[in-house]
Amino acid sequence: MLLLDYQNVLIESLLTERFSGYASATPVSIDQVVSDFDGVTFHLSTPESKSKILISINVKCFKELVQYGAQEVLEREYGPYIVSPEPGYDFSVQIDLENLPAEEEARNDLIMKLALLKRNAMAAPFERAFDEFNKLAEEASQYTSESAPQGIKEGGEVMAIHYREEEAIYIKANWDRVTVIFSTVFREETDRIFGKVFLQEFVDARRRVLTLQNAPQVLFRNDPPLELAGVPGLSTKEGEVSYVTFGMARNISTSISVLTRAVLFPRHLTAQRRYENISHIQTFRDYFHYHIKASKAYIHTRMRKRTADFLQVLNRARPENEERERKTASGRTFRVQG
Amino acid sequence: MSQLNYRTINIDALDPESSTNFPMESLLPANLPQAASASDAASAATQVRQMLRGGDPEGALQTVLDTAPLGGDDRAKEVHLATVIDVLQGIRQGEMTRILEGVCSGDGGAERADCLMKYLYKGMSSSASGSGAQSPKKSVSPQATGFSQIQARNLGEGGGGQQMSVLLSWHEKLVEIAGTGSIVRVMTDRRTV
Amino acid sequence: MSQSLRPYLHVRSSLTAALTISNFASQASERHNTPQVEARDSPELLLNPLHISRNENEKVFIEPSRNSVRVSIRIKQADEIEHILVHKFTRFLTQRAESFFILRRKPVEGFDISFLITNFHTEKMLTHKLIDFVIEFMEEVDKEISEMKLFLNARARFVAESFLTPFD
Repeated sequence: MLLLDYQNVLIESLLTERFSGYASATPVSIDQVVSDFDGVTFHLSTPESKSKILISINVKCFKELVQYGAQEVLEREYGPYIVSPEPGYDFSVQIDLENLPAEEEARNDLIMKLALLKRNAMAAPFERAFDEFNKLAEEASQYTSESAPQGIKEGGEVMAIHYREEEAIYIKANWDRVTVIFSTVFREETDRIFGKVFLQEFVDARRRVLTLQNAPQVLFRNDPPLELAGVPGLSTKEGEVSYVTFGMARNISTSISVLTRAVLFPRHLTAQRRYENISHIQTFRDYFHYHIKASKAYIHTRMRKRTADFLQVLNRARPENEERERKTASGRTFRVQG
Repeated sequence: MSQLNYRTINIDALDPESSTNFPMESLLPANLPQAASASDAASAATQVRQMLRGGDPEGALQTVLDTAPLGGDDRAKEVHLATVIDVLQGIRQGEMTRILEGVCSGDGGAERADCLMKYLYKGMSSSASGSGAQSPKKSVSPQATGFSQIQARNLGEGGGGQQMSVLLSWHEKLVEIAGTGSIVRVMTDRRTV
Repeated sequence: MSQSLRPYLHVRSSLTAALTISNFASQASERHNTPQVEARDSPELLLNPLHISRNENEKVFIEPSRNSVRVSIRIKQADEIEHILVHKFTRFLTQRAESFFILRRKPVEGFDISFLITNFHTEKMLTHKLIDFVIEFMEEVDKEISEMKLFLNARARFVAESFLTPFD
């Protein structure tokens, strides 16, 4: 498993099992809380009858997502299934097992769609940024780059999604690109250094590998990038906040924040590529941290093995005093009285 | 006096009979040469360098080892150490064995071998710390994170590598000629250089 | 073994010389028998310490005494990554000091790892094999650190390229 899946595998398998088993077996009640990355939790239950599955999602930053149009995106995706949110959760859909699509394929599509609930909730600001980009690009095409009015040059507002305790994604559309900024906190020195090695490779990959020439440009730095600092209104405040996070981190000596910026160019924003790219960029943070942890685990096993080797070398220094059995001429043996 | 914390006093230091107050001077032999000063060492250095320039590395090495300020002060020892290292660096790799054999044989040859061994170890210890103080300290972290549990230290290949490899190859050759016993004498001899 | 490393491993002769130790009870306290290099209660029992250095960042420091020897090693660290790897590795080792007998639980200041060899160790174990161990440790630890660093870079590269490929 190199790349992370976009969907929630547990939901996927649970629903597949229920959907396929429904025709033959009697329905069973479900009550299960499922966790996902970034503190997202799902609740799968059958509150009314065993054939009606209620799926609820709780996202930390749902309020912000709604602000950027999450509700519309979710309505578009799950239209007929939406029910009023379960208490304690942000959004709920209900599936009636007796009213499933008849064809196998349509059913699988529905399962996948439900497993992508988190992805779709988080996609809203990205979609908005891409739309905004299209609009700005069109406006900008009427001007040369020098004569473009201020509004177009500066691009849209910065959308901030505080999807984790101290970490956020910032998205900003410009007339020629969309910038996605991740701020990440490293709690430990080792993570920070490993993270730096990984990020450096992200930065260099595009330059080094010919086939990656079209991939988004990645940059990273320890202070807020220009996109966050120079933009008026909300964004300035956000920029300061993230800088303060960094400054504070130094004083309380626990964490370091790193901002990673992926710049998406027009070629990534065409309609057909859009869906995939939104899904993919969402997994960046978890992918990145997952591989840092994996490297640490590997290095640990390596050290364990090397330590065992060293012990073996050291044990060579201990003379072997074998307890050889001694026999008399007549073949009798002695035993030392303990 | 009532403020004094008696628990923190090292009473051994106050007891003349205690083993911590062992008279270290008694370990030095009575026939220690006259205490040399820094200026004495400097004049010896000029003489030795002249011999080195004059194409007599063997004589230079022999003289510099014979004039070692065993009883001198720290300053004199330092000056002399620099001279010894100059001589050692001035001798080509191919000539080392031949010169060493010459210096370590004859009257007082074993003495000179031990003395050279002392200088080799001293050279490796002093310049290792000395050049460290001069080179600009590079901090490990790009920013002062303040939470590293690891002590900061100089990174990089480290200075003095050139000089170290010269001393190490001398060490290798000298051990071949003088043996491990010479190292033992370096450790136990209280007449430091 | 690289040619430049060979003279450095002349640590062997120095260790052989230093490990001429035997039992010696404390002169300061009755019925105590402590390693003199740690207790330091009689100055005449401490011998002149020896440095063997390859350069500023790769040193061995041998502190001999009447009944014990302390060997400290400073491991090469060319950059931040090697620094953290050395730190992690030596920490890993010192936490298992119990099974290493001669490993000191805390390195001497300025060094990454220290061994404390007492007369009891040399009585029970073969001295020349103990020296072999120290030498092998020095050789292997450098190799291990650079291999781990290479691995980390390779993995990072692979991970980054795999993530960016779907965008293409």
